[in-house]
Amino acid sequence: MKRLLISTAIAGLMGGTALAEVRIGVLVPDSGPAGLFGPSARQAAALAAEDINAAGGINGEPVELIFADVGVPPAQAVQAVQRLWRSDGVQGFVGMHDSAVRAAITGQLRGQLPYVYTAVYEGGECATGTYVTGETPAQQLAPVIPWLAENEGVSRWYLIGNDYNWPRDTNAAAQEIIAASGGTVVGEEYVPLGASDFDASLGRIRSSGADAVLVTLVGGDSVGFNIAYSAFGLDQQALRLGTLIEENTLAGIGSANANRLFASMGYFAGIDSDAARDYAARLGATFGSDAAQPNGMGESIYDGLMLLAALSNAAGSLDAAAVAAVADGTAFSSPRGEAVLDGNHVAQTIFLADGSSGAFEVVTRFDSVPSGVTCP
Amino acid sequence: MSSDALVLFALNATWQIAALALLALGLGLVFGLLRIMNMAHGDFVMLGAYAPVLTAQWGLPPLAAIPVCLLMVGLTALIVERLVIRHLYARMFDSLLATWALSILMREGAELAFGPQFRNVPLPFEGVTQIGTVGYPSYRLLVIGLVAAGFLALWLWYRRSLTGLKLRAMVDNPTLAEGAGINTARLSAGAFVAGCLLAGLAGLLLAPTLSVYPGMGLDALIRSFFTLIVGGLGTLEGLAVGAAVIGGLQAGLSAYLSQTAGYLGVLILAILFLWRRPDGLYRHR
Repeated sequence: MKRLLISTAIAGLMGGTALAEVRIGVLVPDSGPAGLFGPSARQAAALAAEDINAAGGINGEPVELIFADVGVPPAQAVQAVQRLWRSDGVQGFVGMHDSAVRAAITGQLRGQLPYVYTAVYEGGECATGTYVTGETPAQQLAPVIPWLAENEGVSRWYLIGNDYNWPRDTNAAAQEIIAASGGTVVGEEYVPLGASDFDASLGRIRSSGADAVLVTLVGGDSVGFNIAYSAFGLDQQALRLGTLIEENTLAGIGSANANRLFASMGYFAGIDSDAARDYAARLGATFGSDAAQPNGMGESIYDGLMLLAALSNAAGSLDAAAVAAVADGTAFSSPRGEAVLDGNHVAQTIFLADGSSGAFEVVTRFDSVPSGVTCP
Repeated sequence: MSSDALVLFALNATWQIAALALLALGLGLVFGLLRIMNMAHGDFVMLGAYAPVLTAQWGLPPLAAIPVCLLMVGLTALIVERLVIRHLYARMFDSLLATWALSILMREGAELAFGPQFRNVPLPFEGVTQIGTVGYPSYRLLVIGLVAAGFLALWLWYRRSLTGLKLRAMVDNPTLAEGAGINTARLSAGAFVAGCLLAGLAGLLLAPTLSVYPGMGLDALIRSFFTLIVGGLGTLEGLAVGAAVIGGLQAGLSAYLSQTAGYLGVLILAILFLWRRPDGLYRHR
């Protein structure tokens, strides 16, 4: 309705000429292992478009979103990007997907269009014209590990993750942060993706004498690990910290298996702020029974679109060079709070939440946490 | 190595073997009796695992999950037998393709019906049983006991009962069995549904220890398949031996080297068996 009013108002001002629209490509995983986040990502995009248009659109023109499924192998994802760019006239991209797809997209765009990447990731992206809102390991761990040392008294960390670059890079960052906070790493282990048996790992965690476990397993692996972890009573010995345990994963783990399970991310459905409560309420009001469980992965698309709109409004256009010239220092707000672009990454608020009750309750927050990524 | 670690390892290996035997039973039964490699086997496991999710959603007591599981899986299997399997007996490769398609259909259907998200099935009872100084999840011990008892009962039934006799007659010579007045069509349908029901029950029993989501069947299928390759297709004894070798090897390598070594070991063993001993350890008479 709001959008219609604005559209009519603008059309009136322009003397009834056809309305120009700014087309933005939104890249979400509808299929594949991250397909779980497709619905929440699309809904986040819809709310962001509503808010951007209500605030006057992008440089005065209403925004139109064009979606593509990137829960597919990189070669296919690139084809979708090409189609949106060449046939649909998309002027900028916002994407939430894995790093392999990101690398393929930056290689394809070569900085010719602004592109905002929003997923939690391992850090280090410096491609021209690429802006990152996703949480980096430095953001998720640098404030949190010292906090847990001080408030939960933990210092002996066991690191377990799936065997690919995100867990390995996260643990490399964790090693330094743990050492700097006076703790020690008592074990580090990687299991193949799709693992279903964690008994041997749990035995090693028990005998390592760890009092904290950093979990960088993903999806079903994380669920299976955390269920077995509690079945063996290891929750008494060591707390768990996950950097990709969001609301869906926690629901799979179940409240009975979530004692002393912490998660560190830029968004939780239970953030105690007007913006976050408003966001959750609007999801319900807009999508009714189809409203997906809000979570940090899906919601990140909202942040990405807000950043792209802010960049474009500051630059006066979506021209990649114009955007790059004004990018540093661009601020935007979202259900997460306030964020500022520092280089091509954002300094943002990080929340530490406790899942013991079966729903994440934020225990503390850290504002303006730097990404730890500096590009040449 | 301390005696505690040894006890824990023995328990973990036993659990692995029991879970594998339970998962592979339905697949082995359908292949042994009907020569149909049911690629949708894992999806019947998935369907069974959703039974407790649904009963909890409907506000029914936990035990109602058993009839819900049997009904849901049984009806699906019956329909599938009528529409697809019945026309493909003795056509192994066609049945493999058809059930693979069925697997995709069931996975997507489950995503539509239940949603893509992870579900949690709480343990029917919590707790850790002390065995010496080692604590082990009580529910796992119960499942190990149930699997052992179930296998023994099934073995006795197959050897001693009239239906068992008819089944063996059908496997050995379908034409002759039919000539002797055995209704092989009905017997085959019954065997397929029974195999799927066993898969469903495996899903139901293992649900509290797994991540429950529409795609969970693939892992169950692959692990069952390895068990049958090593054990040999078509006998209960072979299935038990296969589960013991695969489960034991994976548990051992995972404990002393790494998870990756465990998976690698199982894969290499499966390839070796397919290559050098396609009949498995326990050759069908």
